[in-house]
Amino acid sequence: MNKHVLEFKNVWKTYHMGDGLVNALSGLDLTLDEGSFTAVMGPSGSGKSTFLHVAGILDTPTMGLFRINGEETINLSMKEQARLRRNEIGFIFQRFNLLSQLTSLENVMLPMIGKDLEKVKEVLDKMGLEDKYHKRPTQLSGGELQRVAIARALVNDPSIILADEPTGELDTANANSIMQILQDLNRNNGVSIVVVTHNPASASFADEIVHMSDGKIVQKDSK
Amino acid sequence: MSYLKLILKNPFRNKTRGLLAIVGIAIGIMVIVALGMVTGGLKASTTSTLKAGAAEVSVMQTGAGNYGSGRINESRVTDLLNISGVKETAGMLRATNTSTSGSSTTDVSGTSAETGTASTGSSPGSFAGFSVTGMDPDKLSLAGIENIDGALYSNESANEVIIGKTASTNLDKSVGDTINLFGRDFTITGVYETGSFITDAGAFMSLSTLQNLTNNDNQVSNIAVKIDENANATQVGKAIETEYPNELSTTTAASMASRMNSALNTIDTANWAISLLAIIIGGVGVVNTMVMSVFERTREIGVLKAVGWKEKRILGMILGESVVLTLIAAVIGTVLAVIGVVIILSVYFGGTIEPSFAPDIFIRAFIVAFVVGIIGGLYPAYRASQLSPTEALRYE
Ligand SMILES: Nc1ncnc2c1ncn2[C@@H]1O[C@H](COP(=O)(O)OP(=O)(O)OP(=O)(O)O)[C@@H](O)[C@H]1O
Ligand SMILES: [Mg+2]
Repeated sequence: MNKHVLEFKNVWKTYHMGDGLVNALSGLDLTLDEGSFTAVMGPSGSGKSTFLHVAGILDTPTMGLFRINGEETINLSMKEQARLRRNEIGFIFQRFNLLSQLTSLENVMLPMIGKDLEKVKEVLDKMGLEDKYHKRPTQLSGGELQRVAIARALVNDPSIILADEPTGELDTANANSIMQILQDLNRNNGVSIVVVTHNPASASFADEIVHMSDGKIVQKDSK
Repeated sequence: MSYLKLILKNPFRNKTRGLLAIVGIAIGIMVIVALGMVTGGLKASTTSTLKAGAAEVSVMQTGAGNYGSGRINESRVTDLLNISGVKETAGMLRATNTSTSGSSTTDVSGTSAETGTASTGSSPGSFAGFSVTGMDPDKLSLAGIENIDGALYSNESANEVIIGKTASTNLDKSVGDTINLFGRDFTITGVYETGSFITDAGAFMSLSTLQNLTNNDNQVSNIAVKIDENANATQVGKAIETEYPNELSTTTAASMASRMNSALNTIDTANWAISLLAIIIGGVGVVNTMVMSVFERTREIGVLKAVGWKEKRILGMILGESVVLTLIAAVIGTVLAVIGVVIILSVYFGGTIEPSFAPDIFIRAFIVAFVVGIIGGLYPAYRASQLSPTEALRYE
């Protein structure tokens, strides 16, 4: 049997909104195997980002069971949660979220505790950015920005990459090249990948597509 | 390393705000350093007046308005030797020469340097004016003068003078030069240094010469009294006053020094109060700056949490930024204070007061700045470290 990288069992996430309550996740069930490549689709407000945030231990479920690499995170200290995020998880965002005052090299170095310049250069080179080490975000194109962000997500050799609409701000060519990079990482390095996307073309790079609606998984399609 | 670079660069992402915070704290630091340099300088001057060789008791005419302005018959200089406890006496005549380059005046007034102690009640003119004291050259140690670069003036000669180190610097005159005092040219035979800023800004010449020049024959303005080793200065002073009631009054060097010191201690206390005020005002400015800065960077802090930064690391970054602001302010405030004090003391006080450069003045300023940085940064740093990563990432 395959090891599970992410396990959600009847997970709820409830927010207070004014007087009422909003269920961003309402009894979500999903198990992802190690080395899987999953695309998550669904209408706006269906809970996709919330799902990724729980998966990345940026948020805790209101109710239900959540495990990452077989480990329940609910009882971990803040420090241990930070360590897990740093070592096991790589986040990629729609809007890149690079620090504008830092160069590519420095942005990629952010998740590191020590300074391992060789490793930083290695991941940047892998993203085809060997001549952009010292460029700041304002000096880079959208596709390059997202590749720096991927390099930052990869620098600590995570077991899971969580990407929230990584191609949302990119044109088709750049979107496809980013998805190709993620697919290669999955195929060649065995990194488990979850990509939230509105774009069917981007979703088609994944091996499995799950559809969310109202905080639940409503449909799964495997290739 | 990018962590250090963030700490150094982040405070200036909004330049105006960063500079305003720095200006606020720099003003406080400037005041602390400036006051410290001036009071430190005055203190060094008072302590140097309590020298072993100097007179312990100073005698003046009862009721003399200004210290040094009274007149005493010169015969009292020898009379006082009969009082028990008195070991040695010296008559002194004090006059102010308002100009050293020609015109001079014979009015005798103002400041006192008898025991080398500053009289703080004098007018600004006499404070900065050039004071000349007439005294027997053999008795100069009673005025605190022990080391002379050059030679003493002789008692008979009417045209020799020694000047203080500060006077020498200010007038750009040294041994062998000529100086015009009370309309007559004098040759400078020596330069002395006592450490007292008033004494070192003046000159000494033979008593009889000054008496002649200022029409004060057989008169002195003060008598310096050195007491026996086992005598008590206060008691000797009382004995003199009892012997010559309504004629002579006394002060002890120790009481003058302690009066001066207690005044300086008051300034010191004020300095601490100002430091505290600077901490509060500067601290509020820093809190405000850092809270705004954290608020604007909400999303970025969410990203740092998402890439695995611990709370402590975020806390440290914001605290570090806050301390960077206040330490830069400390450097600027200190430089401005040093320049300001040196210029003001030399231009407006003719270099009579030497500013103190004691390290503790500067250490204190930097400690204050550091504490303001830590206290001011604490709340915003804590807020940043406790931000919920999801809400920070959703923040637009
Ligand atoms: N902090 C919050 N407070 C209140 N409600 C929230 C909060 N975060 C999310 N929600 C709500 O939870 C629901 C799910 O939000 P989520 O961001 O996960 O949706 P999404 O599928 O990612 O949408 P989109 O495609 O627009 O990004 C929405 O109704 C949203 O308004
Ligand atoms: Mg979303």
